[in-house]
Order: sequence, then structure tokens, then C-alpha cells
Amino acid sequence: MILGLIPGLPLAAFAVLILIGRRLGRLSAWLSVAALTGSCALTWSLAGDVLHGQRLAVSWAWLASADSLWRIGLAVDGLTWVMLAIVTTIGTLIQLYSIGYMHGDPRFSRFFAYLSLFCASMLTLVMADHFVLLYVGWELVGLCSYLLISFWFEKPAAAQAGRKAFITTRIGDTGLLLGILLLAFTTGELHFDRLEALREPLALHQPTILTIIGLLIFLGAVGKSAQVPLHVWLPDAMEGPTPVSALIHAATMVAAGVYLVARTLPLFTPQALAVVLAVGLATHLLAGSVALTATDIKRVLAYSTMSQLGLMMTALGLGARELAMFHLTTHAWFKALLFLGAGSVIHATHKQELGELGGVFRHMPVTAVTFLIGALAMAGVFPLSGFWSKDAILLATQPDAPWLFWCLLGGSLITVGYVFRLYLRCFHGPAHGHAVRTQESPPVMIVPLMLLAMGAAAVGGGGLRFVHAHHEAVNVSMLVASSVIAAVGILLAWQGVVRRRRFLPALAQPLAAGIYRLVSHKYFIDELYDRAIIQPFLRTTDRLSRFDLTVIDRTVDRAGLAGWSVGQLKDWFDRRVVDRLVNGTAEVVRVVSARGRALQTGLVQHYLFVVVGAAVILAAWVR
Amino acid sequence: MTSGSVTHLLLVSSALFSIGIFGVLTRRNAIAILLAIELILNAAALNFVVFGRLMGSVQAQAFTLFIIALAACEAAVGLAIVLALSRTARTVWTDQMNLLKG
Repeated sequence: MILGLIPGLPLAAFAVLILIGRRLGRLSAWLSVAALTGSCALTWSLAGDVLHGQRLAVSWAWLASADSLWRIGLAVDGLTWVMLAIVTTIGTLIQLYSIGYMHGDPRFSRFFAYLSLFCASMLTLVMADHFVLLYVGWELVGLCSYLLISFWFEKPAAAQAGRKAFITTRIGDTGLLLGILLLAFTTGELHFDRLEALREPLALHQPTILTIIGLLIFLGAVGKSAQVPLHVWLPDAMEGPTPVSALIHAATMVAAGVYLVARTLPLFTPQALAVVLAVGLATHLLAGSVALTATDIKRVLAYSTMSQLGLMMTALGLGARELAMFHLTTHAWFKALLFLGAGSVIHATHKQELGELGGVFRHMPVTAVTFLIGALAMAGVFPLSGFWSKDAILLATQPDAPWLFWCLLGGSLITVGYVFRLYLRCFHGPAHGHAVRTQESPPVMIVPLMLLAMGAAAVGGGGLRFVHAHHEAVNVSMLVASSVIAAVGILLAWQGVVRRRRFLPALAQPLAAGIYRLVSHKYFIDELYDRAIIQPFLRTTDRLSRFDLTVIDRTVDRAGLAGWSVGQLKDWFDRRVVDRLVNGTAEVVRVVSARGRALQTGLVQHYLFVVVGAAVILAAWVR
Repeated sequence: MTSGSVTHLLLVSSALFSIGIFGVLTRRNAIAILLAIELILNAAALNFVVFGRLMGSVQAQAFTLFIIALAACEAAVGLAIVLALSRTARTVWTDQMNLLKG
């Protein structure tokens, strides 16, 4: 019952808001916040049971069938509970913040209806104990992201971004659906709690199929979590309102992919895990380097999210489920914080290009300080949350993949670089004209920022106690390495951004310019897709359209003409033959009866004449 | 009374009857038809009188008186009908009285 209420409350809020939201006005936001707060409270009330290792579950028959395949239910174990806590807690804070951010928007209540549905579907996805229910939540999350990214659909760019997100993730969704179907046809089992039991016989007898299932499921996660090569939608998704970006990046949308892989990790064979690892690492480094060159605040954050998700995928590729979830948790806090901080700046200055910003610190001290905390947490500075989770992943590579350790260390340096480049260019340095009227955001936006900052600072050390797997205490050498990386990264960013110093000797400048051009154009991946997929597709559809117009349409026209001619013939036959037969019959009757009619003159004297005449003839004849 | 005079009288009666029949069949005016019917009745009455005289019977003359009385009644009723008809159909011409004709 309680389990059903967790997704049920936001769903009910959605139903109310979508139906009568417009009449509720500002109240609609508070209704939505209250529903999610309820879910949050319920989640935390489960904490005691779950953290003692209990698995809570309810289920009911979905389709009446003897087969247990069609029982669905909700279940909460440790993994699910962590996700629930993230979604409800951070979701509540983001909704609270949205009240300030979306103030005065003409579709204010509609926005909160969508947010509620988004949270409800994410909670359904997370709590599902069954692949099919998970898929339902999965698709709903995709739908909500589409609705929210293109929320300001009057802007063509927003509408385009919504479509791009929907279509790109759909490629992944198709993979997930195929994976689910393949699993169902191979094993006849879709419940998550039996995956462990399924693994052994399947790995023994059909290892290839198991690998394919794992890869197909991973394809779904690649789409949802914006991993290479299906990452192109996430930066464009920045066209949506900033709270939506925060929600997508921290709690709901992209976390779903990581959660899916974590949940179905027993199905992944070593080969599949190697693919997960490779994709994760590629995304981590590629997105991180693009983030170094992006010039839009939100785009920097978008690429940083991709990069961090890549790190989580890398951890999953190592088989370290707890570490991935741990990093997901800490990331959710500091990324939500960074996005909402960026939103606060955008809300106040109406600018989001880094070139037009600067020196905001003086005008918005609370936003700046909380943003700095988020940046430090993300950079992995001891003892903020990012340090604990990131270093745990770095440590997990140690025994058997030292090259990976150095790659991830490089990734960490990139992370520190871009997040401090962002912070310094936005909050320090010269102001660019906007500063005159800039002032701090209202309390309804500031309070969530402060709460998130506290979380971003504290979650790491507190959460570490629940990650038993790899290390218990602080690893000193790791601490030193991480601090050095953070310090070097911050220093480089300071030198590059504030002092505007060039690092490279003049000789290397052309090469560096070439690399910069490559990276700042996002490795030309969008252009590649345009050339390799979209344009050929358009050309093909164009040709098909012409084929349709010339060949098929003409055939159809001919067929129509033939039908018309036959119809004409039938018409002629009908008029000339059938109608004439009918009319002729009637005419014969009319002509014959006309003779009879002539007898009936209606004049008594005529009748009388006949009578008299007959009498005379009779008399003459009788005589 | 000679048989020759009887013959002449019967010829007169026949002429009267024929003229009446002719009138009934040819006249279009309802009143003219009524007059023609009177002629037929009178031809019959004349026959009664002629044959009564031939047989020496008085009864025939009594019949004739009745016929005259009946003819008066008939004329009254006939004229009343013609009057009613002419009011309804606004005509006395029988060929224009075609209300029942389809």
C-alpha cells in the first residue's frame, strides 16, 4: 500500500493538475510539491527496513494467466531505495525552486503537471520488479522529457530539441524492447529478483544470446543516459527550462540508464561488460573535453553530466554496482545544485553565454557560494561528496586495470578544469554591462540551493558507510593524488580564465587551434550524423516520395480511371437497357389503360345513351 | 273509338317519349334534362289514357292522375337537387359537374 503511494501521489497530482490546474493557479505548484514531499516522506520511512537488508514488495495479477510472467509489482531493495531517495528528495527541491523560476509563465500549472508525471514515471520505473513495468516507466520518462524539453515550444529550437531527444532516445528504447523480448522468449522470466538464478544456466548454454541481451539492454541505457554514440540529444535538451535540465540531469531521465544497467547487471557477460566499460570511458573523456570548450553555461553542465555518466558506466563496466550508484547519488546532489545555481544566474541576468557573463559574485553571493560548493564537490575536493564517490571508482580500477586508472585520473583533471573554468568565468572577472540591475534570486529559489549545497557537501562522507565493497577508510595516497589533481586543475583554470595566460609555446599554437576547433565543434558528431544518417535518410524519403507520386499514384489514378470507365459503362447500360425495360412496362400499362379510361367519361348521359341503345337493340332483336 | 285513332294517339305518345329520350341524352343543362324527363312521364301517362279508353276502364285515368301528382313531386324534388347542385358546383351544366372524376 505504502509502496503504491510513492509513485501514486505524484501521479494523482498530475491527474488533478492536468484537469483543473489552470483554475488552481499558483496553488498547483504547491500541490505538486506536496505530493512529491509525501512520496519523499514515505521513502524515508522505509529507510530503516531497507537498510537492514529487507526487500519490500507488493504484486498483483496484471493479465489473468496461469503464467507467473504476467504478475507485476513494486519492490524496494537497497538499490531501488537509493534511487527513490534521490528522485523524491532532489525532485522536491527542484520543484520548490521551479516555483520561483517559472513565476509568471503562462503555462505555469501545466509545467508542474508535467513535472509530477515525470517524477511519477521515474518512481514507477525504479520500483518496478518486472521488465515490462520498468519499460512502461521508461517510455513515460521519455515522453515527459519530450514534453518538458520542448515546454517553450514557441521557440523553434526548443521544439527541435524535444524532437531530437525523443527520436534519439527512441533508438535506445527499441534496443531495450528487443532485449526484453529476447529475454522473455529465451527464458520466459522477466522478474528482476530471478535474474541471478537465470544467469548460470544461460551463461552455460547460450552465452552468445546472453551477451546479445546484455548489449540490447545496454543500448537502451546508452540512449537514456546519453552515452556515445547516442549522446547528441542531451546538450540540445538545454533549450528546456533550467529546472527541467536539473531534473533530467540529476534525478530522473539520465539516471534511468545507469539504474537499468545496475539493476540488470547479472545479465551482463564479461564481453558485454567490456562494451559498457569502453562506451563509458569514451563518453567520459569525449564529453569532458567538449565541456572545456563549450561557451554556454548550461551546455558546459550538460557535457559534464555526460562525462560523469560515462564515469558511472565505467564503474558498471568494472562490475562495481555500488560504486556507480554511489557516484550517481553524489552526482545527483551536486549536479542539481550546479544547474539550479546556473538557473539562478540566468534568471537574474537573462544571459547564459559565458562571454557575456562575469563578476556575478558581488551581486549574487548566495548563488555564487553554493555554486562554488557544487563545483568543489564535482572537482572531488576532500571532504566534499564528489571526492568519496569518484575516488572509490578510481580505486576500483587499481588491481587489474592500471591504464584505466590513468585515463580516469586524466578525466578527473578535465572535470576540475571545466567546472572551474565555468565558475571563474561566470562569477569572477570583469562584468559585462548586465551587472547594474542584477540582484539575488527570491527565497523560494535560494533555499533549495542551500539545502542542495548541504547535501552535496555531506552525502559523500555519510553515504560511504553503506558502500562496503571496496574500502572502509580514507585511502591516504588516493587522497593526496586527488587533492593534487584538484589543485592543478583549479590553478590551470585560474591561469587560463582569469589571467588569460597561454600555456603552449607559440610553435604549438596552430595544432592547438586545430584541436580546439575539433573539440569545440563537439568532434563534428552532429555534422557526421547529419551527413551520414539524416541527409541520406532525407534523400531516400525524397526519392520514395517521388516514386510514390509518379509510380504508385499514377497506378492508383489509372485504377481509378478504369473503375470510372466501367462505372460509365454500367451507367449507360442502366439508363439504356434497364431503365427502358422498366419504363416500357409502365408505358404499355399506361397506353392500354388509356383506352379503358376513355370509356369512363364521368358523364351520366353517355352511360344512359349506352343503356338506351342497348334497350333498342335488345327490343329489335327480341322481336 | 277506332283502332286508327288509337294508332295515331300511340304515335303521338311514342313521339313524346322519343323527344324526351333525345332530350335526356343530348341536353347539357340539368333543367332541360328535367323537362325532358317530364316529357317521358307524360308520354307514359298518355299511353295509360289511350289504352284505358280502348279497354273502357276508368282505372287508367286514376293512374294518370296519380302520375301527374307524382310528376309534380318529382319536379319539385328534382329542381331542389338541381338548385343544391348549382350552388355547390356553381353551374347547371352537367358536363362541368365532374367532382368525382379522377
